[in-house]
Amino acid sequence: MLTLFEREHLDVNNLAEADTAIRVEQLSLRFGSKPVLENISMSIPKHQITALIGQSGCGKSTLISSFNRLNDLHQHCHYSGKVIINGRDINSRKENVAQLRTQVGMVFQRPNPFPMSIFDNVSYGLRLQGINTRRQLDEAVEQALHDAALWNEVKDRLFEPANVLSGGQQQRLVIARALALQPEILLLDEPTSALDPLTTLFIEELMAGLKKRCSIVIVTHNMQQAARVSDYTAFLHQGRLIEYSDSDTLFTTPRKKQTEDYITGRYG
Amino acid sequence: MQQVAFNTHISGRFNTELENLRNSVLTMGGEVEQQLVDTLKAIQLNHPGLAEKVIVNDLKINSMEMQIDKECLRIIAKRHPTASDLRLVMTISKVITDIERMGDEIERIARLVTKQKLPSSASVKSSMLLIGERVADMMRGTFDAFARQDEKAALEVYEQDTRIDSEYKKLLTFIASEMEKNTESMQDWLEILWALRSLERVGDRCKNICEYVISLASGEDARHTSLENLMQKLDNLS
Repeated sequence: MLTLFEREHLDVNNLAEADTAIRVEQLSLRFGSKPVLENISMSIPKHQITALIGQSGCGKSTLISSFNRLNDLHQHCHYSGKVIINGRDINSRKENVAQLRTQVGMVFQRPNPFPMSIFDNVSYGLRLQGINTRRQLDEAVEQALHDAALWNEVKDRLFEPANVLSGGQQQRLVIARALALQPEILLLDEPTSALDPLTTLFIEELMAGLKKRCSIVIVTHNMQQAARVSDYTAFLHQGRLIEYSDSDTLFTTPRKKQTEDYITGRYG
Repeated sequence: MQQVAFNTHISGRFNTELENLRNSVLTMGGEVEQQLVDTLKAIQLNHPGLAEKVIVNDLKINSMEMQIDKECLRIIAKRHPTASDLRLVMTISKVITDIERMGDEIERIARLVTKQKLPSSASVKSSMLLIGERVADMMRGTFDAFARQDEKAALEVYEQDTRIDSEYKKLLTFIASEMEKNTESMQDWLEILWALRSLERVGDRCKNICEYVISLASGEDARHTSLENLMQKLDNLS
């Protein structure tokens, strides 16, 4: 029978090791006595965009932050379970966290360029890694700015302060800064919530191009955005993973009533 | 009225999805058009093998309808289309129902050949084939108007149905008089009447699709409107 639309989805509940970017095994996390994540197990596919959706306080940002050990910065954070990236449990005490964060880049809700030039912002991470050759830095910065679709807008003013850029440009600069380190995984925590709708669409289009280079995990409050950009979507509620599947299925025929209620705006 | 342009969204994927959706309708339309051409050939040559092929092929058209329907649902859920994009998706959702029904009507006509119930009268057969040719022309014009989102072309095709209806009525009157003369083969005549009715219904389905194309291109709802009123509405728009 003739197939009109080619679309293949991985079974995220039985993902092969070779297709997995992050494997989460029975991850539970609490801040002090307050449980935030409860027994989360999921596999995030490589070179795909995975969205985490759910109400405020459901644990999405905490979950994404556990992919690069950012929760360690909280004094009273306690966790159990495993987060496996490249066969290593990143929660292990032996893990080199600085190196992990070059492999797993992160972009936050508000653009946070450093108070320095555009060039220095992008090359900052590379310099920290000991790359100081001018030619190497020039090449890496240009490539990262190209990848973040910002090069044409800033190529003539690379040494101007980054804070003169617009909000959308600053957010792309921050993405370029993360990309300069050639991360395998890019975590985006509500990357467009402070941007206008048109700039949001530009960033989303950028993500679609970037997934060829790295695996992307995005946290968003905007369900329409999750539907538009993601290949796979996980719905969290009160720290539990309720449903996780390809976005086509989740947004057309969700299997759990809680998911249906949330995405249709019936949530009490 | 703004037509759907497939290469102007910021999202390249959305461009591709809408274009693929539109093309899939044209693929489905092309299949049904071929089904009608094959059926008319099967009638002309009294070729049961070809008619059997038409009957089997209808499954392909049913499958296409389901696939396109699913894709429309997916696009609405994931892309939240608005304005011309929304009109396109909703139009396609309705158009494919009519195309699928055309497929069913054509299958019914093809069964006339497999059951060996073709009209013995040469004049009835040639009139039937003539109406079939006109319906096939109308179908080609319909899909062409859809592909170009051209309301004027759709209106021209829409007008052709009046001629088909008139020829159909003439043939019915002739068959009624033949039936009075030859009451013994009443069952065969009924089979022919059903097939003719199906042929005429394919024309009506084309007319429905033209109405959707007019709505898509002009934004004016063309359903349940007389031809004169419709032309007046379109004149007012231009």
